[in-house]
Amino acid sequence: MRRKHRESDEAIINITPMLDIVFIMLIFFIVTTSFVKESAIDMSRPSNAPPKTEKLSEVIFVRIDDSGQVFVRDRLTDIRAVRANIVSGLAQKPDASVVVAAARDADVGILVRVVDQARVAGAQQVSLVALSE
Amino acid sequence: MARRRRQRSGEESDINITPMLDIVFIMLIFFIVTTSFVKETGIDPRRPVAETSAAKPRGNILIGVDTNGFIWMNKQRIELNQVRQLVEDAVNENPESSAIIIADESSATGVVIEVMDQVRLGGVIEIAVAAEPEAT
Repeated sequence: MRRKHRESDEAIINITPMLDIVFIMLIFFIVTTSFVKESAIDMSRPSNAPPKTEKLSEVIFVRIDDSGQVFVRDRLTDIRAVRANIVSGLAQKPDASVVVAAARDADVGILVRVVDQARVAGAQQVSLVALSE
Repeated sequence: MARRRRQRSGEESDINITPMLDIVFIMLIFFIVTTSFVKETGIDPRRPVAETSAAKPRGNILIGVDTNGFIWMNKQRIELNQVRQLVEDAVNENPESSAIIIADESSATGVVIEVMDQVRLGGVIEIAVAAEPEAT
C-alpha cells in the first residue's frame, strides 16, 4: 500500500536510454563543430542576364592588365595610389560606381587589393568584369 | 519512517541529475544550432590582404583556387564544369549558404571569375573572396 503510493507520487520513467542518446548526440555535435570562420570581402559580379547599360561617365573604370599594372581611368597608377585616385573620382561624381576589369592573367591579390581600396575610398558599388582577350 | 527512508536512499542512489540534464540539453542545443557542416577545400593558399575583409559566418561553400589555377572543393581537385553541380548540391542541403572562394594571391583572375560565374549559375548570389584582415 505504502509502496504504491510512492510510485504514483514520483514518476519513475526510465530516462537512461534517452540520456544515452542525448550524450551521443552531444558528443557528435561537439566533435563535428568547426568554428573556423573564413574572413572575406564581397565581390559582386554583374549577372550575365541583360546587362544594365551604365553611362561611361558615371563609372570609375579601373583596369588591371596582364602584368598587374593598374590603370585608374586609363591612367597608370601605383597600387598604393588607387585609393586616392578613386577618392578624387568620387569627389567629382559622388554617385559613381567603380568597375574593376581584370585581365585573365592578373593576380587575384592585386584584384582584391584594388576592390578593397575602392571600398575604403567609399565607393557605393564595386563590380567586377572580365576583360576578354 | 526516518529509518525506512535512509534505507531506501542507500539502496538506489538518489543523486539529483536534473541540473546536469539541463546543462547537457543546453549544450546540445547550442552545438546543434552552431554546427554548419563546412567542407574544407583541402588546400591552404596564401590569402590576399584586405582592409575591408570581414568574417563570413554563413559562408559554408568553400572553393579553393591554387597557384596553378586548379580548383579544389571538398578536399579533392575538381574541374570547372563540376563546380556548378557541387554548388547546387550544397544549396539543396542548406539554402542559406553563401560561397567563399579561397584563391591564392598569385592565382589568375580568369579562373576565379569563371568559378564565380559557375557558382552564380549554381544558384548562390552571395560570393566573397577570402582575404586576411590587415594586421594593424
